Amino acid sequence: MNSGEFEPEIVAYACHYCAYAAADLAGVMRLSYPPNVKIIKLPCTGKLDVLYVLKSFEQGADGVFVAG
Amino acid sequence: MIIAQQKPLEEIKGLLANYQRVLIAGCGTCVTVCFAGGEKEVGILASSLRMAFQVDGDPKDIREATVQRQCEWEYIEAIAEQVQQADVVLSLACGIGVQTMAERFRGKRLLPGLNTAFLGYPVEQGVWKENCAACGNCVLDKTGGICPIARCSKSLLNGPCGGSHDGKCEISDDVECAWDQIYQRLKELGLLDNMLEIMPPKDWSTGRAGGPKRIVREDLRPLSMGAGEHLSMGADEQGSEGSTLAPL
Repeated sequence: MNSGEFEPEIVAYACHYCAYAAADLAGVMRLSYPPNVKIIKLPCTGKLDVLYVLKSFEQGADGVFVAG
Repeated sequence: MIIAQQKPLEEIKGLLANYQRVLIAGCGTCVTVCFAGGEKEVGILASSLRMAFQVDGDPKDIREATVQRQCEWEYIEAIAEQVQQADVVLSLACGIGVQTMAERFRGKRLLPGLNTAFLGYPVEQGVWKENCAACGNCVLDKTGGICPIARCSKSLLNGPCGGSHDGKCEISDDVECAWDQIYQRLKELGLLDNMLEIMPPKDWSTGRAGGPKRIVREDLRPLSMGAGEHLSMGADEQGSEGSTLAPL
């Protein structure tokens, strides 16, 4: 992260079956992704709740990313 | 069940402006089922308010608690300690719950977070319909199970009126004519003769017109004198002649 430049903290809610598997595959392939993206695995994005999103923002996230 | 809606966030923020420690109290019965004031709505509102006050530069200590029912002493006792620790309690119960809490926790500021709307049921997901006016003198036996008091805009006992057209009420095409529905329902039931029966003027004293209502069941009271069952009306239920509605 460059000092002085705004880097948003992103919480990514990822589906166990697709997006999380893709992130896992990226790891296996030794690909890197920005450290300011925090991945949280969900059994399915259908499990996403408005409270999860609100809690993410409440605890300092600048953005929430839902992938599934 | 009792149907309610949450007040706008800005209005709730205004109510809480002068308090620092806030307890948002949910109710696990009617307002949970109509998605207005249950545990989940308490969580969403608390989170939204924390962020909103934070953004305004006035962060507050906002806590959450939900009981099974705010309209019964036994249940609200469970959060007595949390209530005492707060400067103010924002109740997400119906008006009954707010008043029960205010009565139990005298000296504590109790604020309503919901607008209590009506007695009704969900007709489909996300849609609720008023269908009881708690008039205290049910006529559903005569109207095929459709309430003309709650469902007719004029609460007519002998309808439909001249404003009924194509099954709709004259006040809006979005409002069904209750008496048209009653006619159709009685037809299905083979009870159309009911339409010919003229209902006499209703005794409205059993409803809001009779003042605050009260039911006393002597057989259920701890120190019962064995007087049977009474449905009493009015603030002074032992008093005036019209106060006892239906001694059984």
